[in-house]
Amino acid sequence: MDQSYHEIQQRIRHYWFKDGIGEVAVGWLFIALALYFAGHRVVSPAPNVPLYLNLGLFLVLAVGLVLTRKLISVLKMHITYPRTGYVEYYLEASVSLPAKIAIWTLGILFVVLLVAVGRWVGTFQWIPAFLGLIFGVVLFVLQRTASGLMRFNYHAVVSVLLGGGVSLVDGFTAQYSLSWYYGIFGGWLVVWGIGVLARYLRENPLPEGGSDE
Amino acid sequence: MSDDLRSLTDLDRIIHEPARLLVVTILSSVVSADFLFLQRETGLTKGNLSAHLSRLEEAGYVKIEKTFKGKLPLTICKLTAAGQKALAKYREQVQNFMRKTS
Repeated sequence: MDQSYHEIQQRIRHYWFKDGIGEVAVGWLFIALALYFAGHRVVSPAPNVPLYLNLGLFLVLAVGLVLTRKLISVLKMHITYPRTGYVEYYLEASVSLPAKIAIWTLGILFVVLLVAVGRWVGTFQWIPAFLGLIFGVVLFVLQRTASGLMRFNYHAVVSVLLGGGVSLVDGFTAQYSLSWYYGIFGGWLVVWGIGVLARYLRENPLPEGGSDE
Repeated sequence: MSDDLRSLTDLDRIIHEPARLLVVTILSSVVSADFLFLQRETGLTKGNLSAHLSRLEEAGYVKIEKTFKGKLPLTICKLTAAGQKALAKYREQVQNFMRKTS
């Protein structure tokens, strides 16, 4: 009862990340992106196919994000809620349709900007390093503001080092580098997430006699 | 005695009770939470938590809905606008008191 008001609020924000399900789901999305970019290398000799693949990125992202959200929802419903309880956060309830459209528009503009800068510079080899840095900053900010969990700092460091590392490898095309970045980082997130989930399940067995009142 | 100090005697007794204060504080951070989550976070027994929630519901500070998430039965608790207002007023009164006496 002696916890401060802000400590309680912070602990409730941490709760969403407690089970590792978010990392597992996002990790699988990254692995899907890795397969998508690997597809470039496999089919690149065929005429016009890379163009369709470029357009397909938005499809992979849109379907991937919907499936990721659904996967998180299903896993939390069957694993987390019966064990440690259900919480609806303000963020889940407050993202309106116009806000979603604005986020998607900004995302598309960001990709277009990256492509334009790549063409202007004459190489796309820096993109994995840039994305690694962006994800690293996002994960670091997430650790400071929402998750409060040290493992998010590890994720941030891995993202930055991995992005920089694959950008420096000679002989990789940008798509191939991106495939390696998303594949390894996605695998890292899935393995970490499964480890966290396993510990969560060990520490939180199903309550006897039902979970509810 | 100043008005600020005297206002401590006007504290809302429903919220002032420690277990209920904890429940209301938790609910103020989220849109809603279920009975199990509140029980784990507060460390109260089912009976005790149920009694405190009923008291808060009677005061109009908490709305309780029996529902389902998928096939899972859930007792969802939400802080009402009156509950948010009461908590804000309570925090202001206590902070004023702490400021005047520190």
